[in-house]
Amino acid sequence: MKVKFSKGEKIFLSAFLVVYAIVAIWNLNKIEIPSGIGHVWQVKVPLPSILGTLNPLTIIMTLALVVILVYMAVDFKKHLKKIPSRKQSAIEIVLSFIYELVEDSIPIEEFVRPTFYVSATLFLFILFSNLLGGIPGISVGVLNHGLSLNLFTDTWPSPTGDLNTNVTYAVMVLFISHVFAIKLKGFKEWLKGFMDPNPVMLPMNIIGELAKPVSHSLRLFGNIGGGGIMVLMLSYLAKYTVIPVVLWGFFGFFVGTIQAFVFSMLAIAYISVQLEQ
Amino acid sequence: MADLSMAQAVVEAAKYVGAGLAMGIGAIGPALGEGNIGGKAMEAMGRQPEMAATLTTRMLLSQAVTESTGLYSLLIAFMILLF
Repeated sequence: MKVKFSKGEKIFLSAFLVVYAIVAIWNLNKIEIPSGIGHVWQVKVPLPSILGTLNPLTIIMTLALVVILVYMAVDFKKHLKKIPSRKQSAIEIVLSFIYELVEDSIPIEEFVRPTFYVSATLFLFILFSNLLGGIPGISVGVLNHGLSLNLFTDTWPSPTGDLNTNVTYAVMVLFISHVFAIKLKGFKEWLKGFMDPNPVMLPMNIIGELAKPVSHSLRLFGNIGGGGIMVLMLSYLAKYTVIPVVLWGFFGFFVGTIQAFVFSMLAIAYISVQLEQ
Repeated sequence: MADLSMAQAVVEAAKYVGAGLAMGIGAIGPALGEGNIGGKAMEAMGRQPEMAATLTTRMLLSQAVTESTGLYSLLIAFMILLF
């Protein structure tokens, strides 16, 4: 594929590169590694114990994403046509791809649609929040004496870079899978499922179930949160010249898409394991 | 840095050694696993070139799952260094 630029675009791109290089050289000796690396902004509220600490950035970004996704869904429903526009067919391709995956792996037809709702919602939310982690924007850092507002030196803080979000979704998937299993088999059969080969294996089965949300949530957090810290360190080593853009693209778009897909795939797999008879 | 007591100095040194060991040893497993997946996928693609597109996506998917054990050790290394 050959890309052709018009004359105005060429002038704009070369002027942009020159300004970028001048800013990079200007900043060469002024950049320090942020001291609060890996720490997040927390606010204490007068509530008992575990509810008493809030992460304002996660809450704000989650609410913003919810607003964006709801707006997209309402817009999609309003402009629904028989001959699809470009946006409509893109959304239809993604959703029908997930629907086929669910249909292949869930053995009972009654549970195909509920599982599809859960996994598609998880996929869309996690995909959008991971993509936010690839776009430079406003972020808040923690210093020893207070907060610092950073403009375009870091990406938008993505909600999945916070372990609380991921654990919430992983525990939710665990609960949903067991509720489905109780609905399908009945309470007694579900309890018997824990003593599968023989009653000696009961503790093993319980530990196996509890280990699922741990690995499920830490996988996503390690990719997004660890990637963010790695990008900060490598960008500091290269003095914020060219590397951050490449790394933001890699961790935000490539790894983000794959991990969102992996998360929803594993949600489908965990639910389908519980539904087997 | 100069006015550390002996005990603090040992802790500081052990932090770096521990982080290096955690990352270095923890990277062996995912490296072997991902190489194995990639090699098998190449073999399958060589046998059935018409399946290459599906095999590539599935290979990336399973590599992402395999990589998570390496990321756990990366997290531990960061936690040792930063906190």
